[in-house]
Amino acid sequence: MKTLQKTYLKAWKKANKLGPEKTIKILKKKGLTGRGGADFPTWLKWELTRKTKSKERIIICNADEGEPGTFKDKLILEKNPENVIEGILIAAYCIDSKEAYIYLRGEYAYLKDKLRKTIKKILKATKSDLYLEIIEGAGAYICGDETAIISSIENKRGYPNFKPPYPSQKGLYNKPTLINNVETLANVPLALINKDWNNHSRLFSISGDVLRPGVYELKIGTRLEKIAKKVQAKNPKAVYFGASGGCIYYEPNLIIDQKNLCKKNVMLGTCSLIFVNKKRNILDIAINIAQFFTHESCGKCTPCREGNIHILNLLERIKSKKATEKDLQLLEKLSIIIKDTSLCGLGQTCTNHILTAIRHFKEDFQVK
Amino acid sequence: MIKLRINGKEVEAEEGEYIIDVAKRNGIDIPHFCYNERLERIGACRLCVVEVKGMPRLQASCSTQVKEHMEIYTHTPRVLEARRVNMQLLLANHDLYCTLCKENLLCKLQRYASELMIEDTPFEILHRYDEIDNSSVSIRRDNNKCILCEQCVRICNDVQTVYAIGLVNRGINTRVKPSFEHTMKESACINCGQCVVACPTGALTEKSDIQGVIDALNSNKYLIAQTAPSIRATLGECFGIPAGTPVTGKMVSALKQIGFDKVFDTNFGADICIIEEATEFIKRIKQKGTLPMITTCCPAWIKFGEQFYYEELNKNMSTCRSPQAILASLVKTYYAKKINKNPEDIILVDIMPCTAKKYEILRPEFKGEADFVLTTVELAKLLKQLNVDFVNLPHTEFDDPLGFSTGAGDIFGHTGGVMEAALRTVADWLSGEDLKEIDYKEIRGMEEVKEAEIDIAGMSIRICVVHTMGAARKLLEQIKAGKSPYHFIEIMACYGGCIGGGGQPPPHNKERLAKRIKALINVDERKKIRKSHKNPAALKIYAEYLGEPGSKKAHRLLHTTYSKKSYV
Amino acid sequence: MQDRSAKKIKLLNVLREIQKKHNYLPEEEIRKLSEKTGIPVIEIYSTATFYSMLSTKKKGKKIVRICNSLPCYLNGSLNILEEAKRLLGIDINQTTKDGKFTLEVTSCIGCCDKGPAIMINDKLITNITKEKLRKLLK
Repeated sequence: MKTLQKTYLKAWKKANKLGPEKTIKILKKKGLTGRGGADFPTWLKWELTRKTKSKERIIICNADEGEPGTFKDKLILEKNPENVIEGILIAAYCIDSKEAYIYLRGEYAYLKDKLRKTIKKILKATKSDLYLEIIEGAGAYICGDETAIISSIENKRGYPNFKPPYPSQKGLYNKPTLINNVETLANVPLALINKDWNNHSRLFSISGDVLRPGVYELKIGTRLEKIAKKVQAKNPKAVYFGASGGCIYYEPNLIIDQKNLCKKNVMLGTCSLIFVNKKRNILDIAINIAQFFTHESCGKCTPCREGNIHILNLLERIKSKKATEKDLQLLEKLSIIIKDTSLCGLGQTCTNHILTAIRHFKEDFQVK
Repeated sequence: MIKLRINGKEVEAEEGEYIIDVAKRNGIDIPHFCYNERLERIGACRLCVVEVKGMPRLQASCSTQVKEHMEIYTHTPRVLEARRVNMQLLLANHDLYCTLCKENLLCKLQRYASELMIEDTPFEILHRYDEIDNSSVSIRRDNNKCILCEQCVRICNDVQTVYAIGLVNRGINTRVKPSFEHTMKESACINCGQCVVACPTGALTEKSDIQGVIDALNSNKYLIAQTAPSIRATLGECFGIPAGTPVTGKMVSALKQIGFDKVFDTNFGADICIIEEATEFIKRIKQKGTLPMITTCCPAWIKFGEQFYYEELNKNMSTCRSPQAILASLVKTYYAKKINKNPEDIILVDIMPCTAKKYEILRPEFKGEADFVLTTVELAKLLKQLNVDFVNLPHTEFDDPLGFSTGAGDIFGHTGGVMEAALRTVADWLSGEDLKEIDYKEIRGMEEVKEAEIDIAGMSIRICVVHTMGAARKLLEQIKAGKSPYHFIEIMACYGGCIGGGGQPPPHNKERLAKRIKALINVDERKKIRKSHKNPAALKIYAEYLGEPGSKKAHRLLHTTYSKKSYV
Repeated sequence: MQDRSAKKIKLLNVLREIQKKHNYLPEEEIRKLSEKTGIPVIEIYSTATFYSMLSTKKKGKKIVRICNSLPCYLNGSLNILEEAKRLLGIDINQTTKDGKFTLEVTSCIGCCDKGPAIMINDKLITNITKEKLRKLLK
């Protein structure tokens, strides 16, 4: 996998020769976008943080991978942490930052010691005076959200905050903060060094009813059938894009890219595909995902905190055959309002799976 | 200035203003629970959502800033439906026995449910069965009614820096509680009741003493009431009288009507308080005693000091009792003797602005003195229950011998008032003159910290007035570090002083509090005698009973001691 | 070199250390931490109770977390959960009488291609079968 190719500080040396502006220009030309699910142009995030009139800027590497079905960052941290740290160093150089954190989810704590040693080695080799500390998460999916990570590092509950202000303007400890995903940072040195580097190449985490689950490096724009064949999906009925992306009816000719998925009201997100076969009842899947969001909702805002428990209740009513058409309509209305009024990305996407499931698999949601 | 449109109408705003504030200024009241002009914006309740043209989702108006040419719609069907569903979600997780709730007819949840025409909730009712915390003598907490607006948490932690309560657990299990399953009584709660004022529902209410007072009124005991300085400025609001209208005479009439034998004025106690406190202050100045000296009328601040700063600062606290405690002491000693009654046959009811007074009267140092505390809100409820036509009551004077007060007593009710009253006496005594300049305007107003340097008889007296414990804490830390430049400090725990107390009718926005302060200032300005040490009734009691200010007897009856208080 | 905010305490790291040592966060330790750092007890407690992997209540020596997110669910996590309940004789969020094991359900732990997966304390263990579980929960 190209993403796992080590660059051995070659990109960092190049960046130091070119200077911050030219380096960011290369990233702009190569078109690197964020791999944390939002697909935001990386060069622009760096530029916005760089331009702030602050004496200090902070970098956070978001290693709080928690989306169900996503395990690509784990692979990168296991097999190629050097690139990630090199990416952080290049970012620190470009935006003039002396302070960086890796927010490592608590479940990946077993990687902490090796990561620490790697950091020490690289900082020594580059003679860098960057302060780079690992912060261990403690089991909260919401802390993958940018403003929630900031709250968490500030010793508070992992509550998200409204944006604007954006972290690039006012982030950790009120300083301009650059937050990048593990895979994004791992790609920074590759994009700078490799002539044939391509932004369309992503790490796809594929799991579910397949014989060969795993991380696959695929191109955005691949046909779904090709992916299904590669992972040996058996009798696929549906594909879920993580828990927050929503689901589609398995169509072999569907092109997997943001535009086509958007047309189906689904988000590509972190490129996690969970295949579901024809024996499965989509209602059961919906209940499972609703349980996930109920457990992970931070509880700050009314629609997500209160709404998710009722989503679950309504689904269970349908399951126990007590639901009527009115319940189904309420489920849909509630899903839309949670999406429309929630404070953060979790609330705004937690009902995608309901809305798409009801649309594509109405037969699994039988009511009286 | 930028121009934008709200509901089609063009309005003006400053850059950086938030939609909800611009809307309010233009007569549009957007429903909200978690928004409070004095607290950090959190955008949590999502009731205040509005439609903004060009933005895909509804935006929270409390946390979205206006931009040039923005088009905002506050009451479209989409917005109203979103508010309705979010309200229905809250109602499905709430104790809906409104008829049995203390907050019935006053609750904001009820108001919005009515405005949004909500007649049912389609969601399954979640029964929480959270335990009710009745342990505190001042505040009752019922988490079954909490809508997690976080106002109480922000006020207790950010404004008051008491840190008694916080958010616990996550998601649907989130609750507001003290740490480690402790009760309110065990916690560091100072009973200030600011959380009660802020709470939009019946989750936080004052502990009710109304029934005890009703029983007392129906007993054969001798009933005396005393009314705190700020009550006369706020009680009228409970009966529809505009904020800022003093209702002193009606207040006394009402209490007489429901059965009190005598109605005394806590302001009288305030005048005595000044006489004692000025004596104490001048003594500290002349004998190089511990300075700065800090006023001690506020029981919430006293508990704060006893909890967090006892060792370092107990000598800075004035030994003088609060006006209520002074008058209570005189009622059960001097007055009881005067009317030839056993003090146990007298019941004294304090009408106070403050939930902390419920705690104060139970201090062992004040045992047997005041028997009950009713807050302004509680008194209003009692009067309504006994069918008193408050608005049409005539004017009645306070009773002698503990009813006459000077203007200095009235201003105790607002921030800066105690200091101003004290300065009037201190300045006269130190200079040996009857000074004509007695308005210390620099320490009036709503700023949290007000300081001044007063030149008295060649001495430069540096004073500081603070309100809210967060502002006070900074001064206390300064004293602790030995860096305080002040001689005399006034601390009031509640924003605005007692007119903003935990027992005063909410809401407490800056505008309303300012009106209440103005009422007290007007009462003071209209009085002939405005200096405490010129109160003839007070001077009479000194001559008859107490001796000199600061005498041994005065100390025994009118001063108190403090002790370290523990908390979890 | 290191500026002021870098020296700021990172509560999550400190709490995880305390939890590792005592298996939970005792009230006494939190009070000591509060005194040392100046962070009010309620703020530490409020933060601690937010996170799934921190607990202010005593737990067993080994905390067994069974992932029940979608991919593991599709791979049969519910069967593993039932087996665990049976083997340990406890329900979810309970601790065995001998204080050895606490059973919990967790969200996705990133082992979706090797499910069902569980965590025992800090260790991720994948491809769980009933036999493997029996050996682990002895």
